[in-house]
Amino acid sequence: MENDGTDSPGVSRREFLERVAAGGAGLAVAGGLARPGAPAWAAKGSVTLADVGVGDPGGDWSKFSGPTGWDVKLVAMGNAPSGVLNVLIAGGGTQIYDVVNIVGGMQKPLVENNLIEPIDTARMPNWGKDTYIREFLAPGKPGFDFIGYKGNVYGVPTVLQGDSFAYLPEKTGPLDSYGALFDPKWKGFVALEDNFTTTGQKTALYLQKNKLASIKDPANMTPAEIKTVIDFLIAKKKAGQFRVIWSSFEQSVNLLTSREVYVMDCWEPMVFVAKKKGVSAVYAAPKEGYLLWAMAAYIVRNPKRSKEQEKAAYELLDFMLGGWYGAKITLSRGYMTNPAAVAYAKSNPGEFGPAEAQEIAAIDANVRKKFQFGGTWQNRWPTHVETYESEWARFKAA
Amino acid sequence: MGALQGRVAGVARYALLVLPLAFVAGALLVPLGLMFVWSFWERAGFWIRPAFTLASYAEFFAGVRLSVLERSLVVAAGVTLLGLLLAYPIAYFLALRVRRDLARNVLLLFTIPFLVNYIIRTFSWVYLLSRTGPVNRALMAAGVTQRAVDWLLFSDFAVFVGLISSYMPFMIYPLWAALDGLDRRLVEASWLLGASPRVTFLRVTLPLSMPGVFAAVIFGFVGTFGESAVPIILGGVGYQLMGNTITSALDVLNYPLAAAMSSVVVATMLAFLLVWYLAFDLRAVLGKIARWRF
Repeated sequence: MENDGTDSPGVSRREFLERVAAGGAGLAVAGGLARPGAPAWAAKGSVTLADVGVGDPGGDWSKFSGPTGWDVKLVAMGNAPSGVLNVLIAGGGTQIYDVVNIVGGMQKPLVENNLIEPIDTARMPNWGKDTYIREFLAPGKPGFDFIGYKGNVYGVPTVLQGDSFAYLPEKTGPLDSYGALFDPKWKGFVALEDNFTTTGQKTALYLQKNKLASIKDPANMTPAEIKTVIDFLIAKKKAGQFRVIWSSFEQSVNLLTSREVYVMDCWEPMVFVAKKKGVSAVYAAPKEGYLLWAMAAYIVRNPKRSKEQEKAAYELLDFMLGGWYGAKITLSRGYMTNPAAVAYAKSNPGEFGPAEAQEIAAIDANVRKKFQFGGTWQNRWPTHVETYESEWARFKAA
Repeated sequence: MGALQGRVAGVARYALLVLPLAFVAGALLVPLGLMFVWSFWERAGFWIRPAFTLASYAEFFAGVRLSVLERSLVVAAGVTLLGLLLAYPIAYFLALRVRRDLARNVLLLFTIPFLVNYIIRTFSWVYLLSRTGPVNRALMAAGVTQRAVDWLLFSDFAVFVGLISSYMPFMIYPLWAALDGLDRRLVEASWLLGASPRVTFLRVTLPLSMPGVFAAVIFGFVGTFGESAVPIILGGVGYQLMGNTITSALDVLNYPLAAAMSSVVVATMLAFLLVWYLAFDLRAVLGKIARWRF
């Protein structure tokens, strides 16, 4: 008889696979997997959450474990689409993880490979209370593509954000268009992200909104449209517009703090870090709009998962839609989470000080404004993703 | 009895070889073989299925990625040559011109950079060579230039600096070992026969140190050719070597293309080793018995 590993003594198949994956595959296991001093209430077992580094509330899951009796094993996971698919398809991840919390929009490859399950939203009381889901991610809205596929919901949105670009006003003055990335005035002082979907999409948004190219949907371009975007980028590259294309968080922060570049296609947290280091960087509010995205927590498909384990996974997802978790993540990561976060932080001064509550409210308002303004929703797996990659290789080699 | 003992010893010797051979086969040959086979397979959704198609090779040789292979070869050859030009005099000096204990200490100093994480070491070049970094500040303070020199960072120059500083120390050790083991009496004999120092070096020292050169070139070329971090950190707008473009193909799960490119890289390396082997006797490196064929 197959041991499902929920309550039997000894090493279950599930535990064995976890250990093999943790040791053999060399996965970076976050503190939770073998966290010393696991709480006494975690008697029922644990829910394994694979996360890209955004969804960890400082290692404190007590507000989930206390009421439910389940602990959380947090396992680090890469966010690149290929990495996610590799871990789940070839790495045995479906046997190990209950929930994966990654940047959403990955439903097509995940569903088509039978790697995730549809979400029964009725099993999460907080789902119905989340006005952000109704406002930005409901079926029929462009944001639905970040959590749904063919009419079904597959992901629970855990954070929302709108990306643009950063600049140093001391060098450039105020900027309000992606055109700054391509403006000869900043020639040699511009950095782009080494990412064929995000950079390609922002460039496409700029070209479309300024009527510089005929692009129907920057989020899902045809091969001809991608070529147009890359031709434009190559022309700029050859003119010496770009200083570098960055590929890591530290690298991009360093580019700003050392003033190596003045305008940079990047994420907002890099600006937060630069500011903390005394550099007055600004995250732009471009007139063309934002690159909108959301993180989605998916339930990994595993037919051998017990009903109790599945229930615990749903409880964890519901917890992640709750006020305490949302406030923690907003405060630590700078992203919008759920509407309950702001209210929770304000009404629990013992857990969040007035300054923290104010910061959470400010972050929330800032991101909400971006979503209300709009832009283009990031597409992690566009229809012609291979053309994106090969054209990006052409840009890099040019 | 003696014959039996000999046979047992022979069997024991082969038995002892089984483990390392199994390791080499399991950890090296089987994965390489699979990679080669998969390079002829075709994509099936997000995975691959058995087939025999040259499509991935055609895509590689017809596309822009071929230029990355060319660049990788040029960069690897350039870095190896420059590394050799720097490492050889250092090794020569340490092996033949300074006291042994001092040489040992200096060789130990060359290991210190390896105590620092490789990525951090590479990032430190970004700080040093940036527009606002110490090198540019020093150049401007000295009046060499009025404004920051752009090409110090995110350029071919920066990539060469990063690669040479990473791989040149690896080249010193085999060169030093070869030069240190050189039979000094042969050098003395050359002098006694009236050869100038230059002729002695070219006709005696250099040929006898070729096994070390062989090993140093392998360390430098192979390491540089497969490098992926330095181009990303120091190379600027899309500077790629083969490691980067293979990773990029894997980003869209194009396993056959990644396998085809990897197979070409391995084949290139094997061809390079074969040519090198024809020029030098591999046994000379392994056994430190110098035998320069030309």
